[in-house]
Amino acid sequence: MKTRVPFKEGLIEEVSGKWVLKGCRCKQCGQIMHPCREVCLNCLGRDMEKVHLSEQGKLYSFTIVHMPSEHFNPPYAIGWIEIPEGIRIFSQIRGWQEHPLEIGMDMELTIEKLWDEGEQEVTGYTFRPSVRR
Amino acid sequence: MREVAIIGVGSTVFGKLPERLPYELGAEAAWAAVRDAGITPKDVQFAYCSNLYGGMVIGQAVLGEIGIAGIELTNIENACAGGATALRKAWWDIASGLYNMGIVIGVESMTTSPIAGKLIPPAKGDITGELGMNMVARFALLQRRYMDIFNVSLEHIAKVSVKNHHNGCLNPYSQYKKEFTIEEIISSRPICEPITLLQCCPATDGAAAVVLASRDLAKRYTNKPVIIAASVLKSGDYAFRWEDITFSDMTYQCANDAYEMAGLGPEDVDVCELHDAFAVNELQHYVELGFCERGEEVRLIEDGVTELGGKLPVNTSGGLLAKGHPVSATGVAQIVELVWQLRGQAGKRQVDHAKVCLAHVIGGEVAGLESGAVAVHILKR
Repeated sequence: MKTRVPFKEGLIEEVSGKWVLKGCRCKQCGQIMHPCREVCLNCLGRDMEKVHLSEQGKLYSFTIVHMPSEHFNPPYAIGWIEIPEGIRIFSQIRGWQEHPLEIGMDMELTIEKLWDEGEQEVTGYTFRPSVRR
Repeated sequence: MREVAIIGVGSTVFGKLPERLPYELGAEAAWAAVRDAGITPKDVQFAYCSNLYGGMVIGQAVLGEIGIAGIELTNIENACAGGATALRKAWWDIASGLYNMGIVIGVESMTTSPIAGKLIPPAKGDITGELGMNMVARFALLQRRYMDIFNVSLEHIAKVSVKNHHNGCLNPYSQYKKEFTIEEIISSRPICEPITLLQCCPATDGAAAVVLASRDLAKRYTNKPVIIAASVLKSGDYAFRWEDITFSDMTYQCANDAYEMAGLGPEDVDVCELHDAFAVNELQHYVELGFCERGEEVRLIEDGVTELGGKLPVNTSGGLLAKGHPVSATGVAQIVELVWQLRGQAGKRQVDHAKVCLAHVIGGEVAGLESGAVAVHILKR
């Protein structure tokens, strides 16, 4: 079995067996940031606290890409997901063939393989349309 | 602060020119601008050369070809705003009194660059780039939301491309001289939905140059100096402060500052060259540059206001869509077109009685920022 490595340090973390999206909040001005910074880029405050970001959001915009990129073969979907904290997360979107995308639709965070790199499985966050159960 | 005039302009024909090296293109444009100004190479006291993919000290190679050496020479990179950035720096060097005459060159050879035949790649380590973002996708995301939230159709957006390709047919310097229909634009190959191939600017080789002088010195060379009434350059703000991706805050702020500096308003603009890297951008920029209220931009294109013969012709050169987009040359080439308009030398594209012109470029992708850089220049006669 391939080893899973995070796509970048500090974007997601495992909390009691479950992967979550990592962010931080400035205690001075309340600005939420992803990825985290040492210093608040909004007010330059230095008191930042770690937060776990929402796993649900709304699709702000999306596109189906028909050109190859470094790691993805076309067609693939990408988009901005607006989370309740008030920021937009740029993400690969999965499950778009089964559930046609629409601006404003509910999306949910999933942690999955982004691409293979030799014996390693590069893992990161993606979003999928929420399926009402 | 002194007034600064443009006294000479020059350009190569734009196109796919793989047999020509970047410095050769640059030298052709620079020499054309020197001749147009009626100066000799020895009169040039300083230079800025904008380039992205041509390698080190390209400005020295360009000017070395035409007898300009041993002066203060700075090479500049600022993505699609590189040419306009070079102009801004040269403007200040004369306005401040440091020098009296200088030359600005923008040059790009995409077909001989390391990324020939590919999309402009994101910077190494850029998070969004690694996750599959690219230049077209960035604007496809804008266009998807713009169409859905503001009820704008693909036909409206394609009409921008129809208009600019028509203008390109009238411009001997244009890469594409071919008319397209709305249907042809919409049914061309999808790149990033809903953007199709003919809604995108092409990859282009070319160069453009302008000679600047203090207004006093300019009188010696021309009785038709074009004055730089405003020159403003800004980098993009953080995306977490960017409320709506369908409205470029940085273009809006840059244009406002430029109008204030010129003591003019959007109602004074007779001709505009703006950054139509993708057809949708032109509609968006009508609003941000103050040409109309939000929601009225579709009317500007539908009613022919921004066509040649309309009240405010936009991208008379063919724009990036048809004339082409040699990245670092674009900002300078826009100025060349507008100077021709102000002098009455724009041939079949001539706008009658043009007195005030505006040039706008924006570009460069960085994760976490709205965009890299934006520049607005206002020229008047």
